Amino acid sequence: MAFDLEIRAADWRAHLAATHAALPGLVPVVKGNGYGLGRQRLAHEASRLGADLIAVGTYEEAHELLGSFLGDVQVLTPWRPFLPRVADPRLVHTLGRLADIPALAQQQPGARVVVEIETSMARHGFDRHHLAEAARAIAEAGLTVEGFAMHLPMTGGNLDEARLWCAVLEASALETTTVFCSHLTLTELEQLRGERPNLTLRPRVGTQLWLGRLDTLAVRATVMDVHTVQRGERIGYRQGRVPRAGHVLVIAGGTSHGIGLEAPRAVAGVAGRGKAAAKGGLAAAGLALSPFTIDGKLRWFAEPPHMQASMVLLPEGAKLPAVGDTVTAQVRYTIASFDTVREI
Amino acid sequence: MSLHVRTIGPDQHLAFVASRGSASFLQTPAWAAVKGEWRGESIGWFRRDELVGVGLVLYRQVPKLKRYLAYLPEGPVLDWSGDVAEALDAMRTHLKANGAFGIRMGPALVTRRWGAATLKAALADDVLTRLGDVPADHTDDAAVAVADQLRSLGWKEQAAEGGFSAGQPKYNFQVPLAGRSEDDVLAGMNQLWRRNIRKAAKQGVEVTTGIREDLAEFHRVYVETAERDHFTPRPLSYFETMWDAMTAEDPQRLRLYLARHEGDLVAATTLVQVGTHAWYSYGASTTAKREVRGSNAVQWQMMRDSLAGGAEVYDLRGITDTLDTDDSHVGLLQFKVGTGGEAVEYLGEWDLPINKPLYAAFTAYMKRRG
Repeated sequence: MAFDLEIRAADWRAHLAATHAALPGLVPVVKGNGYGLGRQRLAHEASRLGADLIAVGTYEEAHELLGSFLGDVQVLTPWRPFLPRVADPRLVHTLGRLADIPALAQQQPGARVVVEIETSMARHGFDRHHLAEAARAIAEAGLTVEGFAMHLPMTGGNLDEARLWCAVLEASALETTTVFCSHLTLTELEQLRGERPNLTLRPRVGTQLWLGRLDTLAVRATVMDVHTVQRGERIGYRQGRVPRAGHVLVIAGGTSHGIGLEAPRAVAGVAGRGKAAAKGGLAAAGLALSPFTIDGKLRWFAEPPHMQASMVLLPEGAKLPAVGDTVTAQVRYTIASFDTVREI
Repeated sequence: MSLHVRTIGPDQHLAFVASRGSASFLQTPAWAAVKGEWRGESIGWFRRDELVGVGLVLYRQVPKLKRYLAYLPEGPVLDWSGDVAEALDAMRTHLKANGAFGIRMGPALVTRRWGAATLKAALADDVLTRLGDVPADHTDDAAVAVADQLRSLGWKEQAAEGGFSAGQPKYNFQVPLAGRSEDDVLAGMNQLWRRNIRKAAKQGVEVTTGIREDLAEFHRVYVETAERDHFTPRPLSYFETMWDAMTAEDPQRLRLYLARHEGDLVAATTLVQVGTHAWYSYGASTTAKREVRGSNAVQWQMMRDSLAGGAEVYDLRGITDTLDTDDSHVGLLQFKVGTGGEAVEYLGEWDLPINKPLYAAFTAYMKRRG
């Protein structure tokens, strides 16, 4: 109990239930670090919501969660012959290349598959001109088609592109009416459902579901030590000089928790780019803002975070926490790792 | 260099086309005579002394200069699975020596095909507005790869907006005949086509083939069609030249079909055949007596004759890539889809500039001319 996550369980679950109710056909996505909350916890919550299917990122994750989730498990990473084999009747593979069709059928006759199309994301999936050929090959190979998948980008309106892929599906020889999609708003989904009543749209949702109400989550970092320092005093692994008199707080939460790691942020606009550039400049000067809020403000690191703790400067005059107190921290949940996750 | 290109005679050119089974009629020596305003040349690719490819080159002169755009419509006739770079390099050397400032060609390679069922579903769908958006029933990866190769060799694909504006159409419609009987072909058509064919027969429409002298009668109906459909008709002399040049090469190369109802000519068409490939080329119909369905009758007769004449493909030629039911061009596709055939996408037309400033000036000039 040092760098911990607190979930206001009742409110968080109310949000999960509301999202589940608002998005018919919802497929909870449980992948990576479980959005900071842990895969097992999310798989358990998906069961509690009554989900018949969850989507995971990798075969390793699928292997783990088939044991804790009773419904079907879809793997988002397209099947490749070199990926670990997980043979389970509840597993649904993603197919994205012609060459993989006979190979998968050979490894697992009759396997259940979702056919992914290459959208403007240009990440995985069949070229649309190969879709008819894929449909033929899948039928010949005796695989079971469970749906069609389109992974759409996050920016701008996706409706036009989603419409196109639905039309493409219907003009193809693929024998399915289920469409798995991502990043469509509720309005967009409803519009599309109205236009294509014969298709079953199943939104795959991760962030919006698990992290849709960040106010129900709080990161509590425990103050492990407090030292008084003078201006110019040398401290830390790197023996840098303290720029101002005050206190150095040693707070639980270091690189092993994801502190100090920064996923590149999507920066849009001139102001955003300016801020990013300014931050980069400060970082180059050895100064970086920490994610810890103490006495109402984000505080500066005294030096780069250590593996399990961070040294943070608190200038004179600020309200000083005591050893054992907790402070809050802002983290990117998809790269965070907590010592404990507590429901309150 | 082991592969080289040189001028060949029409007989050698023709013999090679015959040995290949077929080639576009725009790649036969006779076509040079049809396109009298362009200078034509038959070229051959030789590996040592063996002829391995041919092409019909039409030279279009730059105004006031002795420099030319060398154009190979729907050609050349080459083994595109071989060493494309070597073959094209040999062609460039030859054409450059003949005063070409640039080369334009349209390899007759089919990259994608869409069957009638797919087209029907796509036409019924408002969202699918371009053929290119529809999953093709067949994709020829080797042909698609040739496009990448051409690009890497410095060739530029000519933008064919809607598939029609540039030289030869990129999208075409074909009825496969290989291994099919008349009954099979008829059964593949939609109900409307079959009904119209039956109707024409019941009304007593008679389809006959004509001789050179009948071209004048064809032309009269063709001019009427041009007025109705707002295109500029070609003069009768164009068809007479075409007749003379093509039938001289092979009496069966060009045929004229005339559909009559109670003595009145109601529809007239021309059919071209090179080996196993037959093309419906020009069509005309009167406004009067449309209800006797002369157009369907004449098409059906051409299909039957093509089949009997050993054709494996009946080609209804260009379509646009539009599937938008608000676009007037879509009617053409709907009409052709009724035959139960398939839409095919060709590799398109490609340009290789040899003299860049001249090529740029020429393309600008052509754009201004529209």
